[in-house]
Amino acid sequence: MVLTDQVRGGEEQDETPNRVRRRAVLAVSAALAALAVGAAGGCGLLDREPDEPPPPDPLLPLADEAVRLAAVHRLAATDFPERAATLTPIAEAHDAHARELSRIMATPAPSPAASASAGAEAGTVEDRIEALRVAEKAGYEAAIQACLATPAHRAALVGSIAAARATHLEALK
Amino acid sequence: MTGELPAALAAEYAAIFAYGPIGVRLTGAEQTAARAAEAAHRTLRDALVLTLNGTGLPPAAAAYKLPEPVVDRAAALRVAIAVEEKAGAVWRSALTATVGAQRRQALDALTGCAVRATRWRRFAKVDPITVAFPGKIPS
Repeated sequence: MVLTDQVRGGEEQDETPNRVRRRAVLAVSAALAALAVGAAGGCGLLDREPDEPPPPDPLLPLADEAVRLAAVHRLAATDFPERAATLTPIAEAHDAHARELSRIMATPAPSPAASASAGAEAGTVEDRIEALRVAEKAGYEAAIQACLATPAHRAALVGSIAAARATHLEALK
Repeated sequence: MTGELPAALAAEYAAIFAYGPIGVRLTGAEQTAARAAEAAHRTLRDALVLTLNGTGLPPAAAAYKLPEPVVDRAAALRVAIAVEEKAGAVWRSALTATVGAQRRQALDALTGCAVRATRWRRFAKVDPITVAFPGKIPS
């Protein structure tokens, strides 16, 4: 009892300003540690944008464009069967480009229905071929810029797509 | 500097060599196309020599093995297609080893090879005349 009393007495005696300060420091430290753990987990109070999505892949516009180009060539091949032997392989090449780009981006391939704005189009076959050439030219130039900007491990694919679009211009002559 | 650009130079030497026997088997527009193609490869060679600035330059060989003997027009067209596809593959590889102006040089070279191969397929009545991934060696 004596010892207990002495201990109690000691505890009571520890309720000095120093003891209070130590408890306050411990409490603040514990709070900061809790915040740090929460932040490291990505869901803490200090997170600015906990649900912010990653930025889109820089090659996504190239993939979307490949889908659109495939759709307009396929539509023209349907409207002008006499040119299908030229147009269908070009459409299939754009399909293949979209698939490969999706593969290296690790994203689902863009849906032709969602991405293509190729509705019913009018005009003679010459008009439509010229419109395809304009679209291929724009696509070729976009692919050049994408190739120059992309990391080395993607440059061969993107460069090959640029070259393919140039050959489509030649085929559509 | 990796070995891709010296390899491209070696491919250009080989293409220039090949268009000699190719050209003599062709006439008219095809012969004109062969001369233009040979000139384009000479331009690529000269630009590469400048780019490499005398370092690691492979010497031109006296002769290069062709994929088949160029005995007639049909063979000349097949060899022309093969020459452009092979050179295109080397330039495609160079894309991964270059940046900036050198990558643009490699891309323009790949594109030129791809377009010339397309023209040769048209002359040869190969169907289709385009391929999905120019410069990619089929696996």
